[in-house]
Amino acid sequence: MSTKVKQPSLFHWWLKLRSPLFWSRRPNSERVMLRLPTVGRALAGAAKSSLAPSNTVRTSVQAASNMVEVFVDGKPVEVEPGTTVLQACEKVGVQIPRFCYHERLSVAGNCRMCLVEIEKAPKPVAACAMPVMKGWNILTNSEKTRKAREGVMEFLLANHPLDCPICDQGGECDLQDQSMQFGSDRSRFTERKRAVEDKNIGPLIKTIMTRCIQCTRCVRFASEIAGVEDLGTTGRGNNLQIGTYVEKMFMSELSGNVIDVCPVGALTSKPYAFTARPWETRKTESIDVMDAVGSNIIVSTRGGEVMRVMPRLNEDVNEEWISDKTRFSYDGLKRQRLTQPMVKDGSGQLTATTWEDALTRVAGALQSVQGSEVAAIAGGLADAEALVSLKDLLNRLDSENLCTEEVFPMEGAGTDLRSNYLLNSRIAGIEDCDLLLLIGTNPRYEAPMFNARVRKSWLHNELQVAMVGQSVDLSYTYDHLGEETSVLKELADGTHPFCQVLSAAKRPVVVVGSSALQREDGAAILGAVSTIAQNARTSSGVEEGWKVLNVLHRVASQVAALDLGYKAGVDAIRKNPPKVLFLLGADAGCITRADLPKDSLIIYQGHHGDVGATMADIILPGAAYTEKNATYVNTEGRSQHTRVAVTAPGMAREDWKIIRAVSDLAGVALPYDTVDEVRARLEEVSPNLVRYDDIQEANYFKQANELAQAVNQDLIASPLVPPQLTVKDFYMTDSISRASQTMAKCVKAVTEGAAAVDEPSIC
Amino acid sequence: MFLCAAVRSAVSHTARQVRGLHRSAARAGAGGIFVHRDTPDNNPDTPFDFTEENKKRIESIISMYPEGHKQAATIPVLDLAQRQHGWLPISAMNKVAEVLEVPPMRVYEVVTFYTMFLRQPVGKYFIQICTTTPCMLCNSDSILEALQNKLGIKVGETTPDKMFTLIEVECLGACVNAPMVQINDDYYEDLTPKDMDDIIDDLKAGRVPPPGPRGGRFSCEPAGGLTSLTEPPKGPGFGVRADL
Amino acid sequence: MASGAATRAAAGAAKVVKPFLSRDLDEAKRRVRELYRAWYREVPSSVAIFQLDITTRQGRDKVREMFDKNKHVTDPRVIDMLVIKGKMELEETINIWKQKTHIMRYFQETEEPRPTDFLSKFYRGHDS
Repeated sequence: MSTKVKQPSLFHWWLKLRSPLFWSRRPNSERVMLRLPTVGRALAGAAKSSLAPSNTVRTSVQAASNMVEVFVDGKPVEVEPGTTVLQACEKVGVQIPRFCYHERLSVAGNCRMCLVEIEKAPKPVAACAMPVMKGWNILTNSEKTRKAREGVMEFLLANHPLDCPICDQGGECDLQDQSMQFGSDRSRFTERKRAVEDKNIGPLIKTIMTRCIQCTRCVRFASEIAGVEDLGTTGRGNNLQIGTYVEKMFMSELSGNVIDVCPVGALTSKPYAFTARPWETRKTESIDVMDAVGSNIIVSTRGGEVMRVMPRLNEDVNEEWISDKTRFSYDGLKRQRLTQPMVKDGSGQLTATTWEDALTRVAGALQSVQGSEVAAIAGGLADAEALVSLKDLLNRLDSENLCTEEVFPMEGAGTDLRSNYLLNSRIAGIEDCDLLLLIGTNPRYEAPMFNARVRKSWLHNELQVAMVGQSVDLSYTYDHLGEETSVLKELADGTHPFCQVLSAAKRPVVVVGSSALQREDGAAILGAVSTIAQNARTSSGVEEGWKVLNVLHRVASQVAALDLGYKAGVDAIRKNPPKVLFLLGADAGCITRADLPKDSLIIYQGHHGDVGATMADIILPGAAYTEKNATYVNTEGRSQHTRVAVTAPGMAREDWKIIRAVSDLAGVALPYDTVDEVRARLEEVSPNLVRYDDIQEANYFKQANELAQAVNQDLIASPLVPPQLTVKDFYMTDSISRASQTMAKCVKAVTEGAAAVDEPSIC
Repeated sequence: MFLCAAVRSAVSHTARQVRGLHRSAARAGAGGIFVHRDTPDNNPDTPFDFTEENKKRIESIISMYPEGHKQAATIPVLDLAQRQHGWLPISAMNKVAEVLEVPPMRVYEVVTFYTMFLRQPVGKYFIQICTTTPCMLCNSDSILEALQNKLGIKVGETTPDKMFTLIEVECLGACVNAPMVQINDDYYEDLTPKDMDDIIDDLKAGRVPPPGPRGGRFSCEPAGGLTSLTEPPKGPGFGVRADL
Repeated sequence: MASGAATRAAAGAAKVVKPFLSRDLDEAKRRVRELYRAWYREVPSSVAIFQLDITTRQGRDKVREMFDKNKHVTDPRVIDMLVIKGKMELEETINIWKQKTHIMRYFQETEEPRPTDFLSKFYRGHDS
């Protein structure tokens, strides 16, 4: 009897499963009825009549919004059709345990931890992979669901070692947390555990493969996000393991992210191994300065030491990934540091001294020469506060010789029009474009997060990519148009075959690498690129707000420096050598002793004993990006600020304070004593610099293009070669990463193989 | 409670012993570990290239799949490589990856998953003897013994002349003709130890003995002769009403 | 011992106010002398008990210095107040309610006033 009562409802449920359209869209049920098998028709009719009243109400709602209504533990929620059960639950605020599911990766559905009961369904379903159907009641805490979770957890733990006390993931381990929350409270397991051999996949990632639960997140990350298909699953059944099969380094600029992605302690950070526990570290939200993207990071510190760097979510910049240089170069912050003011003594030896002495000498030097005989060069890691203080100081001394190390063509519109030197389309904007033209850049190593965004768009949005410049591996396919500058000319003239594609594009984006603009014919290249962009823009008929021309910078300070009115490039200094040269973290070696008169004085202010410090007469130790509250503007023009995670080592001081102190002694005291006052000054000069996490629109392409036409410069025939071609060039690019042992190991591992840097594992 | 635990541990002890004995085909035949180690005869420099004939075959295999889905041909092309080389050195896998334009890792995954892809060198004749329950009940142990005595090797070994490799496998789906062995692609069924000796002798002499059941029965007919359909089939119109 | 607060003394002297302990200045001075004597006698035993790294002479000089610090005070009520405070200090010293550091604080003030101008803050170090 009971079965008879049950049958119609069960069937009804099945029916709903089979034809959601029947209930959701069509008011005229007859048409759909005809599509049903004849056997089902009678039953369907019966089922329909039984639920008729509620259905009519719902159909009207559906017709209006095209949303599907489901219930999570009886709570109604409206979701888009095609939403998975897990996402629907998330919308209500119910967290479903999961291991293999990851928002940004494809759905694998192999861990089974997300099993939930659906009312009237015969079996629990995997919430991450099952799209919801109308009217489902998802039971996230029913007896059946709990039992399913406990069962899955028991199997996962069957082969998982109980080494949490010595596991680096301890405290931030999904398996640990979820076994506490959803697992059984006792074990029935008395058999032996499986063991898996550890793999050596490079100097960054430590593998303890016995801990692996085969969620395949890392495999999917490698193939989908990083675009390096080196990881995979080998073997089958109980013997299934994750690895590279052959002895091989996991060679990607994003490899560190698999550490975050791994839900257990199978993939952990090698440099961080056994150094700290997550609960004893203090986390400071900050900004990365290793490239011009300005990835959002969290700096984990303990006892005044940076223990590790982790990514922080920012959908507009780095999503939740960061590059390996961002993540692992933090050990460079502890080595080669300048901790004391130094001056050159009689024998030409740099000797440590006091701040009073060093500052007095600097001030004396500044006072003893004419204003125009003083010049300053800002390096790639300088923050906006220091830049504005230095500019104010030199301006007060009647000097306008303020340059950045990075070159940017000053002819034509130069840096006067802000849209000329920004990544105007924004990083997230790449997801909206349909054609991307890269010129003389290798974004994979110049801006890994930008490249990851391009790859994402290439993978999911059918983005077409083309490139002018030396052919490099970008982790996605692209049309290589050639590496000669003549290609640019043809593209600008409209004679190149690719122009057809370019003009057919609906939302084109042109990105030119900053290195391409640093050649002697930089202005001509910028002019050509500007014309290409302007033509593409006209032919696409895209709306007014869409920006085509983009410049991809490589150093963190450049945009802020240009915003503040620094001259790009040191040509002016080379032509007109100053008596006193102030280097603000300038470590690229653009100006050497040979370029200056014999008796000139070089003052270096910075945090690392690198190229700049070695040629200096006076060294003023500054703070690195983890040690100051400083503003950086990324290549999009997005202003962000770091926070103080640790105090600067030794006698090092925040950069703007040093300049402020010098100004005091030089008798031209700058009118700010606190960082807020400096920022008020920044706002006076350029208000966008203090509108944090906001981008100031800049849209003067037409004018810039007109001005660029006036430039009388010819393209040089030599090919466009970005400076970073292979992953080897990626690791050590600035004074911090050059001081990092981890980065040095990476370079060694890349050139000599992973075995070259193999260390005896402790466990 | 204690009793319960004692029983459980006893059960698990026996279970453990069974686990210890149990070596699946994956473990024994298709080459133990699921990582690659360079050896003198299996390394990325091991010479391997498809023959001209096989290259044509690959083309026709790939043409069976839609445009842009070359990866679908992984298994047939790997099979081709294995037939050409006898087994699959890492260089062959790399070659297949190159031909199909997929990352090598995707090929390794497939090769390690399927036990019929041999990642270690085998002899010219690859003998797989079934010792699963139905065969065992039909005395497959005697066949195994006969094989081992005849070839002078143990399970999992290859004869020094690289002619024969012997492994023990799970059910090959010929239980009705148990006991049986598979030699390369052929099934030899309804075996006795004597049959086994003869087959090996034939193979050694360079002849290929006819595959199929020994002892005269056709295919998988009942061992004791037909019990139905014993007479020749009736012609058309049999059993039909005369007036139609 | 406490710092003198004689700012209102001049104003108070002009008008007649209710005495606090001493009726006139002489009486107040007597109380001061009594207190001074008591301190003078106490110094050697304190030096011994607290194992101070000073001589009795130095201790007595310090006592004198502390008394001299308030010698400009003329208002008997203020003097009385200072005497009471001095007695409290003395009591704490005699009963060893104080510790060595409390005694030594008379000789060296450990806290320095924080600098307020930018340069001094800069020289002093981190975070001003």
